[in-house]
Amino acid sequence: MTARTHRLDAGVRDAMQAVSAAAKKGFGDAALAELVMIRASQLNRCAFCLDMHLGLARGLGLDQRKLDLLDAWEEAGEVYDERERAALALTEAVTVLTDGFVPDAVYETAAQHFDEARLAHLVALITVINTWNRLMVSRRIPPGGAPW
Amino acid sequence: MGCFAPRVEGMTTHTDQPAGQAGPTRTTRTTHPADAAGASRGYAPERPARLSWAQHAPEVYKAMLRLDTAARQGLDPKLYELVKIRASQINHCALCIDMHTKDALAAGESVDRIVLLGAWEEARHFYTEKELAALELTEAVTVLTDGFVPDAVYDQAARHFDEAELAQLISAIAVINAWNRFGVTCRLAPGHYRPGRHR
Repeated sequence: MTARTHRLDAGVRDAMQAVSAAAKKGFGDAALAELVMIRASQLNRCAFCLDMHLGLARGLGLDQRKLDLLDAWEEAGEVYDERERAALALTEAVTVLTDGFVPDAVYETAAQHFDEARLAHLVALITVINTWNRLMVSRRIPPGGAPW
Repeated sequence: MGCFAPRVEGMTTHTDQPAGQAGPTRTTRTTHPADAAGASRGYAPERPARLSWAQHAPEVYKAMLRLDTAARQGLDPKLYELVKIRASQINHCALCIDMHTKDALAAGESVDRIVLLGAWEEARHFYTEKELAALELTEAVTVLTDGFVPDAVYDQAARHFDEAELAQLISAIAVINAWNRFGVTCRLAPGHYRPGRHR
């Protein structure tokens, strides 16, 4: 499969990378950031982003079970701790926005596990991977291919 | 520009409309339910924002502003407002709908074209073929979880936009989707925006 287009404005690219870097830095937990980005990419079915972030997660030494069971994390018992669950639930709510608002219960659980600064960066992280997903899926960038 | 907490201090990257250039904005002055008139009409009270994300993530916010500026380059501003309103409707972002309908009206967009955006497929004669292609692409890129961006939708857009302009359109749709996520997740309240502030 070939890309529909590789075209992406250099200014857009640079600013996207700056948003990503700032979100990751402010969130501070690189491993959980990867889980969040993989889960959003699963929901948005972005092959390029899945390939990239699964690779990064393995590089960080994430437990393979956490990666394998991510699509069914709610039913995966002790594989994910409460903090990870709170972040994953928020990821799903923010990603599937068209089905409804972000429920109070989901937001409040996340707010119990992350202080305001970390929560703001978690929201940014979920948002930026959603943006990357859109840029890659729309242009049909193949996994492992050049993104631009 | 997209959605951010309207009362965040110290974020002065954008410019307010210069005094004396009110023009059409005068007729679209904001009245929001939080004011005394709203209360006297029995409107529900305004809910507070959940989180002032821009204050807590200023570096992200600054980069988002840069991204927004980069994504709009080369796009017809009138078309882009329609795209922003439609994506914000689909994502149910009240702040963004408030902002972009006001900006569109202030820029001279017709009430008909704004009101009918929610049913544009049945109101095609209000829009150009190019705008229709952009709106269809907006929906496909916004509702990503329901399927990929269909070839027919992409190809139709590619007939109306050259490759560089299409890349900008895709970026712009992705960026309003991002502002929508901040607005909805942080529950930023609509009603306070004054047209022209974020354009």
